[in-house]
Amino acid sequence: MCGIAGVVFKDRKLHPVGDIMTRMLDALQHRGPDSAGFSIYGGLGLAEHEYLLNIEVKERSGLLEQVKEAVNSVTPIKKEEIIPSVENYNIYRCKIALNSFDELKPLIMDIDKIEDVIVLNGSHSFEMIKDVGSVKEIADRYDTYSKMGTHAIGHTRFSTESIVDRYHAHPFQSYITPDITVVHNGQITNYWKIRDPLERKGHIFETNNDTECIVHYIADKLHEGYKLEEALEQSVKDMDGPYSYIVGTPNGVGIAKDQLGLRPGVLAENDEVFAIASEEVSLRAVMDTHDIDQISPGETRAYTI
Amino acid sequence: MREIEIDANSMVPRDLNRAVKQAAKEYDRIIIKNPNAMHYMVAGLTDNTEIVIDGSAGYFAGTMIDGAKIHITGNAGWFPADNMTDGEVIIDGAAGDGVGQGIYGGTVVVRRNVGSRTGEIMKNGTIIIGGNSGFMSGLFMMGGRIIILGDISDDAGESIIRGTIYVLGNIKSLGKNAKIEEIDEDDKRELQELLPSYGFELDNEKYNNFKKIVPRSKRPFYGSKESEEG
Repeated sequence: MCGIAGVVFKDRKLHPVGDIMTRMLDALQHRGPDSAGFSIYGGLGLAEHEYLLNIEVKERSGLLEQVKEAVNSVTPIKKEEIIPSVENYNIYRCKIALNSFDELKPLIMDIDKIEDVIVLNGSHSFEMIKDVGSVKEIADRYDTYSKMGTHAIGHTRFSTESIVDRYHAHPFQSYITPDITVVHNGQITNYWKIRDPLERKGHIFETNNDTECIVHYIADKLHEGYKLEEALEQSVKDMDGPYSYIVGTPNGVGIAKDQLGLRPGVLAENDEVFAIASEEVSLRAVMDTHDIDQISPGETRAYTI
Repeated sequence: MREIEIDANSMVPRDLNRAVKQAAKEYDRIIIKNPNAMHYMVAGLTDNTEIVIDGSAGYFAGTMIDGAKIHITGNAGWFPADNMTDGEVIIDGAAGDGVGQGIYGGTVVVRRNVGSRTGEIMKNGTIIIGGNSGFMSGLFMMGGRIIILGDISDDAGESIIRGTIYVLGNIKSLGKNAKIEEIDEDDKRELQELLPSYGFELDNEKYNNFKKIVPRSKRPFYGSKESEEG
């Protein structure tokens, strides 16, 4: 099934979106027990060309030092912390600076070559938190309650397409365009037809997961100059299958739903907040839901700040 | 009239439904407070009890009821009144996809807009939508009537076999095997009797603006020979 949610505060100011998204996802917990994840935008406060890396590292003697060495060989680590996870893994989080965004993906690919190490993401304007387990377990582990931001997207996963682990938890990220993330409920049935032209253009796929395909597709469209609304509209024409998905960008969120309307999506909006989710029960965590809209088959909605 | 309140806060659907079914044996009216858009509320109730869900319901509200009268004062999610055989489900707000899916009898009323596939595979009964109804409303409809006071979206009456969809607003497009007919005096009389009883007061002239969507053929999938068999 999977549950998806997104929220934007229209005043562009910082709000406790980590806490809000935790409540939105907890209300959708019944849609997926495997893993959960957040992209919380706007609260990191990094300087230009600074990035935050989230790296999954197995608890093995000397491994963390090897990771640090790999990072330090490219750029000095400015700040670091270790967040204990489950199954003998930790999340090593560090802040670095690069000359340009183009250097981020090659660095991540270098670190990924180390055995028992996977870079979960690298970001500038958002904080990605994703792990196996329930929403509340993950929220406690990473203290999502205290995270401030302008907008956020989130996911609770019922795995159907690939294995349950931290990397395959949503959101998925693309490095074609900075800080584009996607959470998804459903399947893309013409997956290879979407993936093939993107690979021919040089875009690198790390998995066979269809959500990764969506995020690269959207990032590619934005890179070509499409507005978020236009990219979403085009995706509904190009992608087959039952799906609804939410995109997070540095400036907002958007939702798209398949042309047969086989996956759910609802929206509520007032002067302060734009919120979207799989079900009304999630929207109720953030606002009065007297007026809710169903996202129609083939419809897209977006809000940018 | 004997009345009881049940607070759904911190209850799971199984516990709530058990409490409702137990209370329905003794009380005529049950008010569910703090429903918090919970799924599967009042599933399978077969007593003729009046139920007020004081707020929004999640998926499958009132699924498989037989005789109960449910009033939801907020919104409802997907498939409210799914497969009901008799009774009434009235929703004051909006509702999601598949309103009245597969119903055999009874009446479903949604006062505002609904999602797609309203009345899909319904066999009998009545569905009234006060606002707009989405894509493929009446999908594989096999009987009964759907009344839409707003607009109906694409592929209305897709693969409809029997039954009638009355539409007051615009029909965006028709699905396979569906056609539009003008309403006759019997249709008009039927609507004039029915709609005010659910609080929809229309000017008399407006009844002339209804169109109805009906099947082109009773055997759309098995050749052109007219037959009710098979």
